[in-house]
Amino acid sequence: MKLKKVAAAGSVVFLSALALAACGNKSADSSKQVFNFSETGELPGMDLSKATDTISFTNLANTMEGLYRIGKDSKIEPGVAKKTEVSNGGKTYTFYLRKSKWSNGDPVTAKDFVYSWRRTLDPKTASQYSYLFDGVQNANDIIEGKKAPDTLGIKAEGDYKLVVNLEKPIPYFKLLMGFPVFFPQNQKAVDKFGSKYATASDKLYYNGPFKMTGWTGSNLSWKLQKNNSYWDKKNVHLDSVNYQVNKSGNTRYNKYKQGSVDYITLETDQAKNLKNNADYHLMKESTLAYLEFNEQASNPTVKKALSNKKIRQALSMAINRDQYVKTSAFGSQAAPGIVPDGLAVRNGKDFNSNIKGTGVTSDAKEAKKLWKEGLAEIGEKKLTLNLLGDDNDAAKKSGDFMQSNWETTLPGLKVNVQNVPFKTRLARSSSGDFDVVLTLWGDDFADPISTLDLFTSDNSQNDGKWKNSEYDSLIKASKTTDANDPAKRWDDLQKAQKILLEDQAVAPIYQRRTPYLVKSKVKGLIINSVGVTYNFKNVQIK
Amino acid sequence: MRKYLLKRVFYMILTLFLVATITFFLMKLMPGTPFTNQQKMSAAQIAVVNKQYGLDKPIWQQYLSYMLNAAHGDFGTSFQFSNQSVSYLISSRIGASAQLGIQAIIFGVVLGIIVGSFAAINRNTWIDTLCTVLSIIGKSVPNFVLAVLLQYYIALKLNWLPVAGWNGFNYTILPTIALGVGPLAETARFVRTGMVDVLNSDYIELARAKGMSRFGIVYHHALRNSLTPLVTLIGPYTVALMTGSMVIENIFSIPGIGEQFVKSITTNDYPTIMGVTMLFSAGLVLVILLTDIVYGFIDPRIRLAGNEG
Repeated sequence: MKLKKVAAAGSVVFLSALALAACGNKSADSSKQVFNFSETGELPGMDLSKATDTISFTNLANTMEGLYRIGKDSKIEPGVAKKTEVSNGGKTYTFYLRKSKWSNGDPVTAKDFVYSWRRTLDPKTASQYSYLFDGVQNANDIIEGKKAPDTLGIKAEGDYKLVVNLEKPIPYFKLLMGFPVFFPQNQKAVDKFGSKYATASDKLYYNGPFKMTGWTGSNLSWKLQKNNSYWDKKNVHLDSVNYQVNKSGNTRYNKYKQGSVDYITLETDQAKNLKNNADYHLMKESTLAYLEFNEQASNPTVKKALSNKKIRQALSMAINRDQYVKTSAFGSQAAPGIVPDGLAVRNGKDFNSNIKGTGVTSDAKEAKKLWKEGLAEIGEKKLTLNLLGDDNDAAKKSGDFMQSNWETTLPGLKVNVQNVPFKTRLARSSSGDFDVVLTLWGDDFADPISTLDLFTSDNSQNDGKWKNSEYDSLIKASKTTDANDPAKRWDDLQKAQKILLEDQAVAPIYQRRTPYLVKSKVKGLIINSVGVTYNFKNVQIK
Repeated sequence: MRKYLLKRVFYMILTLFLVATITFFLMKLMPGTPFTNQQKMSAAQIAVVNKQYGLDKPIWQQYLSYMLNAAHGDFGTSFQFSNQSVSYLISSRIGASAQLGIQAIIFGVVLGIIVGSFAAINRNTWIDTLCTVLSIIGKSVPNFVLAVLLQYYIALKLNWLPVAGWNGFNYTILPTIALGVGPLAETARFVRTGMVDVLNSDYIELARAKGMSRFGIVYHHALRNSLTPLVTLIGPYTVALMTGSMVIENIFSIPGIGEQFVKSITTNDYPTIMGVTMLFSAGLVLVILLTDIVYGFIDPRIRLAGNEG
């Protein structure tokens, strides 16, 4: 008899649940200012010394506050510092702090910054972003364990005066202060929660516009609620940002249509269909894809070929970038140069304004000509190249696209596409085990040096081992003699980029843009291309 | 029986030990570091961080200390989730996966038995054909396709159930159906075949001749005997639900363990890879043992310790 009962009970429960569920939808309180935000992955952590990803950075920057905040177009806005003095030839920064509070009631003091910075640089913390402190007195020695963390060039003079000493001027230093790794930390929280510090929303204290609630460390929904002890709370309009993680693009879009989320990012195929939707926008990212040519390749023919300027130029020009972004990287734009568009602006002009027509052009005819000349110069008739890339969908499409462009345009060229996991690609890039590799680089802060630094001859990211002494000296000048002269520094960096592009040291392909949908009732959402992606401080629902 | 069990448990532990060892060394063959920001760190910085995590030690030393800790139930700290212990990551997410898996098995097996018996009783009629066709469709449509369809029509268009999330029983219904339809179809096919055989056998004829009711025959004689082969399916079901749940959890935004596993591999999150692999292996070995034991109870002809006497 039992079996029958179980069967009957099972189906009854099931059917009645289905029926019950149909009438269980509650409507939310509409008088509250709530922003329902859909994220694409879990929040990996809230320990700002250890955070490495944009989801963590966004949550940290909205619940914590550093000396400055990053506002629209990566401009700095007031944070904990109310006044800043720069002295000693740009090597000493004195920050005067405003009176503000942690969510446990403690005052935010200069000591919290000193503590936080030392904690981040302490090798025991194993921070992966500590390299951004390069230039702060003794930072590099501390990271490598050669000096004690308390020798770091930061000191608190009383509770509200913070002095930072640099080894060399850092022209974008204030901008860095808006990045979470430079934020203060409450030592009491670190000591109290110990190994559980920042592993759940109640395991840390907040000093930013919002406080986090409901995050257990591994769940898929949490809230950022207005922090009523925040110093500038009158400019915070939202009662809460409700985070939901929806990893599937389809699910995100269904939820958006249903109205349970107000913001989603789109996948390529969705974007193609939705590009005429009124809510459709493109988020410019400071992530650029470029080809690196291995001038020290183990195969002597490949080495000779890729060290030849004309061959590099031919390979670059043979790629039809406009068609590429239409078919293989929808939403993205053809690379303007090696520095992303919109990353840095001076006197109303984008950094890339001087490079029109340089380097990043797609011209099949010219490519053919240069290819022939290049092959003649190195005395070869044929060439086989391996193109290394990631094994994700986007990179596979890229590989196929470039292979077909190259093999149809450049006679005698044979291309093998190799798609490997991301970590393998990195390992092979840095050990020089490739001919041509498609690299993606995302900048950390809104200054061209964030990209241009990569291609100096001694930089460890310069996988292709391109060398140009003029380029090296311009980059050096921007950091030393011209560091305190914004106009000259700008000029140095612009010239450097031009040299790199004319020589086609690397071939920039596309600048990533992410398509997204946002409800028109959401006003004041700041989306930046670099560092912290979303700033919710001034968002209003109207 | 006791001797047999002890032997089986010993083999289970041996299996797990081998799985752990092989996984450990395979994992170490993967290129790259477990550091998310590897691309931007210099070799010197990577060396410093490696030292902090003991990744600079010779592999055999890492292996020994890993095995010792694992034996004490300490799987280490995740690399993807800062400061988070792997034991916590697993324990906080296994609940959702387990609930979903169990619901899907119950849903699939119970309905499968009903559908299968129904088809067998009405064999060679249109009802039988319909059931067969449905179970073939159920078996061949991938569960993620079904999931997307259910989400679109039932949740979005009809608004009967939530689109996605994990916030009460309502939220579990669609994923349970999506995940349970495969087992349902399989069960139905098995039960139907088994029961048709049984219904044609002599002892059923005898029961019928004695004047037993139709239901009595099916329930007392036919069903029980045709269920025996089903037990062998529980093992494969468990595997299917473990792997199938990765996609379903993704589509319905369920905080389960499945996706965690895939992500830990692509990010070289060594401690999580080991923790989840061990959990899956232990689950599987246990299910296989249970199946064997249950089999013995259901079918007295199969003696577990056949060589005992």
